[in-house]
Amino acid sequence: MLYLSQAIGRPVRDKLGESIGTVADLIVAIGDRYPPVTGIVVKTNGREIFLHWQSVASLDAGGASLCTSAIDISKFNQRPNEIRLKLDLMDRQIVDIDGRKVVRVNDLRLDEVEGSLHLVAVDVGASGLLRRLGLEGPWRTLARSLHREVPERYIDWEDVDPVERTIASVKLRVPHKGLAELHPADLATIIDQLSRNDRVGVIAALDDEAAADAIGEMEPETQVDILEDLEPGRAADILEEMDPDEAADLVADLSDESRVEILGLMEKEEADEVQELMTYGEDTAGGIMTTEFVAVPANLTAAQTIDRLRELEPTAETIYYVYVTDSEDRLVGVLSLRDLIVAKPETVISTFMYDEPVAVRTDASQEEVTDVVARYNLLALPIVDAEGRLEGIVTVDDAIDTLLPQPSKRRIPRLFSRSGTSER
Amino acid sequence: MKSPALGLTPRAVNRVRFAAILGVLGPGLVSGFADNDAGGITTYSLAGANFGYNLLWVLLASQIVLFFTQEVGARLGLATGQGLAGLVREKYGVRWAAFMTSTMLVANVGSIIAEFAGCSAALSLFGVEKWVSALLAATVVVLLLTRGSYGKVQYLFVAVGIGVSLAYFLSALLAHPDWGLAASSLVIPRLSDRPEYWLTVVATVGTTITPWGQAFIQSYVADKRLGPEDLTGSRLDVGLGAFLTNLIGGFIVVACAAAVWSLGNRVDAGDPEAIKHIAQALQPLAGDGAFVLFAVGLLAASFLGLGVVPLTSAYAACEAFGWETGVDWRVREAPAFYGLMIFFIASAALVVLIVPTSGLVQVIFMAQVVNALLLPFVLVFVMRLSADKEVMGPLVSGKFLLGVGWLGTALLVLLSVTLVVTAITGA
Repeated sequence: MLYLSQAIGRPVRDKLGESIGTVADLIVAIGDRYPPVTGIVVKTNGREIFLHWQSVASLDAGGASLCTSAIDISKFNQRPNEIRLKLDLMDRQIVDIDGRKVVRVNDLRLDEVEGSLHLVAVDVGASGLLRRLGLEGPWRTLARSLHREVPERYIDWEDVDPVERTIASVKLRVPHKGLAELHPADLATIIDQLSRNDRVGVIAALDDEAAADAIGEMEPETQVDILEDLEPGRAADILEEMDPDEAADLVADLSDESRVEILGLMEKEEADEVQELMTYGEDTAGGIMTTEFVAVPANLTAAQTIDRLRELEPTAETIYYVYVTDSEDRLVGVLSLRDLIVAKPETVISTFMYDEPVAVRTDASQEEVTDVVARYNLLALPIVDAEGRLEGIVTVDDAIDTLLPQPSKRRIPRLFSRSGTSER
Repeated sequence: MKSPALGLTPRAVNRVRFAAILGVLGPGLVSGFADNDAGGITTYSLAGANFGYNLLWVLLASQIVLFFTQEVGARLGLATGQGLAGLVREKYGVRWAAFMTSTMLVANVGSIIAEFAGCSAALSLFGVEKWVSALLAATVVVLLLTRGSYGKVQYLFVAVGIGVSLAYFLSALLAHPDWGLAASSLVIPRLSDRPEYWLTVVATVGTTITPWGQAFIQSYVADKRLGPEDLTGSRLDVGLGAFLTNLIGGFIVVACAAAVWSLGNRVDAGDPEAIKHIAQALQPLAGDGAFVLFAVGLLAASFLGLGVVPLTSAYAACEAFGWETGVDWRVREAPAFYGLMIFFIASAALVVLIVPTSGLVQVIFMAQVVNALLLPFVLVFVMRLSADKEVMGPLVSGKFLLGVGWLGTALLVLLSVTLVVTAITGA
């Protein structure tokens, strides 16, 4: 086991034991689970030279020994999958996939794996910090005498995702595979901690759906910032993947210029939906509803209805309720998924649907929506216009969101945040 | 990084200019207002009361240097999206980061002590015991910062600050100062070989250009997610902030010069009655109510500083060592951030408890001197980073900005060294 900080600055000796310089950096090839060390950068006479790992006989805290005395002083050409540990990783920010947060690299841990040296873990604990400051020894003595442990914390290299800027010196496309597998809420938290450039870089590497889910979990002003930083076509793609109610709220907050441009690049159907939703007041039922619901005519049988659900399921926000409408889209009944499944397949749904469905008007207040949802224990509440036509639904999770007062989402002094934009 | 391959293009540059600039206004202005904290009011008052209009040139000079240092700080934030401490760590490693951060923290704790001393001094005018006011102030600030309501309350402090600035402006007008002398003193340095003169010069510089102000502007710009296209707006904002802070400072000096100095009175910072003497500057406007007005203003100024400085300090330390920084974390999720913030506040409050009430003004004054002495250590990093093409990209400092920046830093170093040398040889 070797820490990078223990090797840096140590003497490098050739085959004859002559000191030729000091260890300046190590190079690893990214790609494997644990990246192998492929080279060493030696500082000699104020210059940096690069040596292949084959010419290194040993490396430890005492320094490096070479198995050659002839040194090739050709200039180092970094290959696309190689990174320099000290230059590119040390002291940089990385994403800890397991802990779901952004942390700083205090030290890097190398281990012998199958006979060669590999990068295995990132030290993000206090012991790494103390080692770098040259205080690890005294601190451990002190801790021992107090019967305390020095907290050690490592992140396995597998759970590490380098932040974009971290590896800016190499043209390496970070797959962000680990990030894409995180829960959208966690991903949103991580992205919120990154600087603007890194943030856009991470979003760019995600697929549209993952990006849409993550953006959906962010605070409104962060959403706007990110969307305006993205290339408009990509922003439009991501908006299409979002729930229309969320997308409408977001689009409404964009600058006039971006809004026109991005809406123009969206599929017509999605753009129309978003624009329609934007016409409702932000604090009304229409403002928080989604237009992705399942509505069927009253003359279908239970089996036909279930078939219809199979077709529609991918886009509808909830399928626990199926709404029944007449030829003019007026809401005439509602069925639960349970009703459908227990009914005989050939029964016509109008015979067993609940024909006095609870609904509120698009201009009802958010409080009324929440009240009704709570009073009738609904998973979703239908929203109708003045003529009783079904316009959308508010799902219980969106209804709960309106209950949370804004301040409880921001608990910390806003001094250090986008206070200039949060007031709008 | 913003290559088309990643699906990115720079944000449209030709947005509506006015909106762009309004959206950026903030960091520099807030920083400027927070500059006129307890230390600012007290130091400018002492400068005017003891040296009349003579030190006005220092205000103009520090205003210019302040503009350039804040501009560099904002530019670093725009280019990197990172705070100063984090950037130093990435570029120069953990040891330099630890060195710079701890230097800055020493200066900052000095500033926080000064803010507490300001609270206690202000409330002492109403006869409130020092330990009551210090504990009260510490409790209020910790609650405001940890419960997340500081963001709203700060506008109240800023508003009171503006009110008091107006009061100084009117008071200066009513006291019939020698405007001709004041104007000429702005550009013609009237030097002196008295050690107190130079001590006041250093304190005035130290209260205007601060290590925390440097960290603050950069973090604020980065956290507002401003980018290179906001450069013009940021410069305007920073310039306005620097201009306003010293305009107010100038009126404080003039008011004190006219109401105290021209009558032949002098104020010794160590005098137990010092706070009452400098409150006299508002007498032409408020008459017998001068000290009430002064106390309210000093209290608001102290609270504005008490919010900003501990926050900036904890932020910098966490950034340097990679702990979770505040912003959107709860107390339990970011123990280091909140722990440090409360530690800074508590230890500063404790120092004020130890100092006798009669020494509060002296404490405020000396904290500004300490700030000035430590400032060069922070500025050296700022200047070096701003000249680094790799860090700054297209926003790298040109020859002119770099020249001015290093010249300002060199002058500060010269001033500090002079002071230290005279302090040693003089004693």
